[in-house]
Amino acid sequence: MSRNIRRVKERAFLCGVALLTALAVLPLFHIIMTVTVRGLPEVVSGGLRFLTGTLSEGGIGPAIAGTFLLTFLSALLGLPVAFLVGLYAYEFPNSAVGRWTKTLLQIMLEFPTILVGVFVMQVLVVPMGTYSAIAGTLSLAIILTPYVAVYTHEAMRQIPFTYRETSFSLGLTRTRVLFRVLAPMARRGILTGGLIGLAKVAGETAPLLFTAGGLYESYPHSVTAPVGSISLLIYQLVQSPSPADHRMAWGASLVLLLIFLDIFVPIRLSLREVKL
Amino acid sequence: MNLAIETRNLHVYYGNNHVIKGVDLQIPAKGIFALMGPSGCGKSTMLRTFNRLIELNDGARVEGEVLLFGKNIYSPDVDPIGIRRQVGMVFQYPNPFPHLTIYDNVALGLKLNRLLPGEKIRERVEWALKKAALWDEVKDRLDDYPSNLSGGQKQRLVIARALAMKPRVLLMDEPTANIDPVGTAKIEELLFELKEEYTIVLVTHSPAQAARVSDWVAFLYLGKLIEVGPTRKVFENPEHELTEKYVTGALG
Repeated sequence: MSRNIRRVKERAFLCGVALLTALAVLPLFHIIMTVTVRGLPEVVSGGLRFLTGTLSEGGIGPAIAGTFLLTFLSALLGLPVAFLVGLYAYEFPNSAVGRWTKTLLQIMLEFPTILVGVFVMQVLVVPMGTYSAIAGTLSLAIILTPYVAVYTHEAMRQIPFTYRETSFSLGLTRTRVLFRVLAPMARRGILTGGLIGLAKVAGETAPLLFTAGGLYESYPHSVTAPVGSISLLIYQLVQSPSPADHRMAWGASLVLLLIFLDIFVPIRLSLREVKL
Repeated sequence: MNLAIETRNLHVYYGNNHVIKGVDLQIPAKGIFALMGPSGCGKSTMLRTFNRLIELNDGARVEGEVLLFGKNIYSPDVDPIGIRRQVGMVFQYPNPFPHLTIYDNVALGLKLNRLLPGEKIRERVEWALKKAALWDEVKDRLDDYPSNLSGGQKQRLVIARALAMKPRVLLMDEPTANIDPVGTAKIEELLFELKEEYTIVLVTHSPAQAARVSDWVAFLYLGKLIEVGPTRKVFENPEHELTEKYVTGALG
């Protein structure tokens, strides 16, 4: 009797957990489905013109180029800094600066991204007198850096102490131990962090609002001139009253989703292969 | 007697914890010197003062002197990097670098320290693997990763990694603690061959192993040196009651 009650309780609990899990991930599938259903016709009917044409030609080519440009430049600027900061936090965990670095990274992770945009507007856009690709790059790099630094730090911390001892016991200098032995050992984790950072900034909107400006009638040609991005374009199109613009926004959303999944899915798959 | 390592009034502290309490020890050159004692008696800590690896622990403090072939390695003008190149080390858990091939594991120290020109490295790697009695087992798969090697093979690979640097002293921190009996026998056999040319300091918690392989033995208990001498004498005719208890198994 009591055994049956235990079983019923167990069943009920499992069902409850399954239900809540489904609720939690439902939005994700809903987003993917809606974006595909509403965006795909737009992309298919537009064809190559949609992917390469300018806005007045019915395409989002400059926005795609802008997203790639901004992501690439912010990676160029942010990844090396993030890598070094992450290594620093790992190597000097007990120094005052090291402890502060860790705390500040945590704060930066959760920092409202729009404030980053406001900050960059103050220090770059206002003095330059124009929106620009470098302003967009800088704000994205500021968002990317803490992510990648934290991932780098975590990846390094996963390395058992014995490998650190071994490296030093071979008479290597601290720099070589860090850069030539331990960092390569953690390369998969560090790389994953880098890609997650890229996926994150590829879809950011808020930090670009006051920095990138937008450019949809021609391809970007200078880093000191305004540049567009897919996410920014979606934001602008949705605000327009025209149904045609809304359809275009769905198409652009699908493209953005695909770019994001392209970066993100391989990361998840590669994570499974990790073996130490 | 020609001394490889000598400690003079050696003290080690971890924070407020006094781990090694004034040890004076003389380790002769060439041969196997065993440091034995129950877990937590400070053997591994002591071993790590011989190549200044102890300094990787932030809280550790060393007082006293450690002389390596007559030179105090704790004097201010000594660079620990140079010391570590003369003193190889093998650890309790077989730890070849998992992200490097078998070849690169052995070549790593030579490559990164730029000790040898490129073409000489291959010769040295082969030499070290032969010395470690591993060459025949891995010569056809030098470019494989070490994950498929057995525990004993991994440990011999790690010994080859240390030997490739041509150290004068080899420190071994319970090298067979995580190895099966067959692998252990092979490593002990290897120690017999290496002791003709190297000074080997072997940390072990097993009196039986100390009795089997060592020429001299020191018994450490709660951070103090209780007894030291030729292995036969210490085992057959110990001077101290604690030593007798330990070697007969009455002391954990």
